[in-house]
Parts: sequence; C-alpha cells; structure tokens
Amino acid sequence: MTEEELRSLLRELRDEPVPADSLVRMRQGLAQRVEARRMKWWWIPALLAPVCLALIAVWFAVPALTPVPTPAPLAVLNPTIPPTEAAPVMRSITRPKAAPRNNMTIRIETPDPEVVILLVADEPKGTGTL
Amino acid sequence: MLEISRAASDSFDEVVRQRESQVLRSAYRMLGNWADAEDAAQEVFLRLYRHGMNFRDEAALGAWLYRVLFNLCVDRARVARPAAEMPELQAREPAADSTLLREEQKQRLTAALAQLPARERAAIVLREIEGLSTDDVAAILGSSEGTVRSQVSRALTRLRSLMKGER
Repeated sequence: MTEEELRSLLRELRDEPVPADSLVRMRQGLAQRVEARRMKWWWIPALLAPVCLALIAVWFAVPALTPVPTPAPLAVLNPTIPPTEAAPVMRSITRPKAAPRNNMTIRIETPDPEVVILLVADEPKGTGTL
Repeated sequence: MLEISRAASDSFDEVVRQRESQVLRSAYRMLGNWADAEDAAQEVFLRLYRHGMNFRDEAALGAWLYRVLFNLCVDRARVARPAAEMPELQAREPAADSTLLREEQKQRLTAALAQLPARERAAIVLREIEGLSTDDVAAILGSSEGTVRSQVSRALTRLRSLMKGER
C-alpha cells in the first residue's frame, strides 16, 4: 500500500457513520450529567435571592433611621484638638467662684456721721486670719 | 436572567447536536473502543457546559473541543491501552469483493491506529482523518508545525508497516 492509498483510506474513515446505539448512550449519559450538575447548584440562587433582597431593603432603610449626629461627638473625634487643651478651659471657668471668698472689711465710724472709713483687705494666701 | 440561561442552554444543545458525531468519532479513533469514546465525548461536552459558549467563532470552538478531547485521550491512554474492540492485525487472505476488501482495510487501519503512540495517533487523526491544517493541529497539540509534520510522517510509516502485518 502506497502512502497516497493510505491517506485516501484515512480520509474515508472521516465519513464513517457513528453507531446509533453509541450515539444514544453518549447523549443519555451527557443529559444525566448536565442535569445532575444543574440540580447540584439549584439551591444557591434560591438562597442568595432572598438574602440579596433583604440586604437591599436594609441598605435603603438604614439612612432614614440614623439620628442626626450632634456637634459634641464630632468635636471629641476631631484629631486637631488635643485632649489636654480642654483642662485649662475648665480651670478658668471654676476660678471666679473662688474670688469672693474672704475679703476683710473694717468699718470705722468717725464723729462726723457723714464720714465712714472702710478698710478693705484681701486675705493672704495660706493664712486664715488677717 | 432566566432568558439568558435558557439561551445559553439552547446554544449548548445546538453545539452538541452539531458536533456529537464528530467528537465521538474522533474519540473512538484516538481511544480505540466505543465505551471509552462515549465517556470521553460526554466529558468533553460537560467541560464545554462548564466553560460556557464564549468563543469568537466556530473554528475557535472546534479547536477548543479537539484540545480538550486530545488531553482527555492522552490521560486515558496513560492508564489503559486501547484495542479491546479492535480486530486482530494478522495477515489475511484478501477479500474477493472490492467493497469487502475496502472495509477490511478500514478495519485493519483502525486497529493499526490504536497501536500508535498517543501523540502520533492524535496528530494523524486530526491531520489526515479530520482534515485540519498543520497549523491548527499544532495549536491543538501545543507543539510546533515541524513537530506535527514529523509525527504525521512517522505515524504514516508505522501504519504502512502495521498494515503489511509487520511489527
């Protein structure tokens, strides 16, 4: 047999019919395997669909329920203001309350009822007496 | 979404209808028996189903099917030798009738094909039986055109020897 005859014989094999029973078995097997694959994953969209819907509903509902943020928390969260600077402010507010604490006043009445001598002195720090 | 899924499914079914004979026949030529060929063809189409129908044209689809089939057949050839259903390659008296003679030659050629190494068998099945170009065969087998020509040439020499009844 020459090479050309061999090639011709090979080309004839291309047109040979496939046995019908083999084709049927292949189709049936493929259909079963494709169906099994479809059934294997059916629950994923069934589960994901309601979860996605719930997430979308929550996404749109949450902004309406969120309270308007107050300035105070924003000031606390502001990183430009160091927390240590708040303390002097507090001290400056409390200091005036201590001011009227113990000024000493001495009233001296003169013979003239029109003249009264008033001596006013601050109490020295650290002493309880004048 | 359902429409897209149905369209993809219809497209897949259409491809299976168009290509089932071709894929099954090629699988038989490469594997040497119909039972393995049926399994291989099923696996090819199942992989197509998983892959999806994203091909730029019919030629790309055909090349993809052949490549998957070739890889499957090489894997199977590693674990099992074919020729379970092949007629014995023995020197016989030629049949008198020319049609009978031709059929007998085809049977012997089919049996001889099963004796070839997997890559040579794939090269000659794709090049000479399926009629693909050397370029296409090289792309499918993942080798160069020169390698494919060499494999086809070696395969033809071996086939002629086997057809004569030589070992």
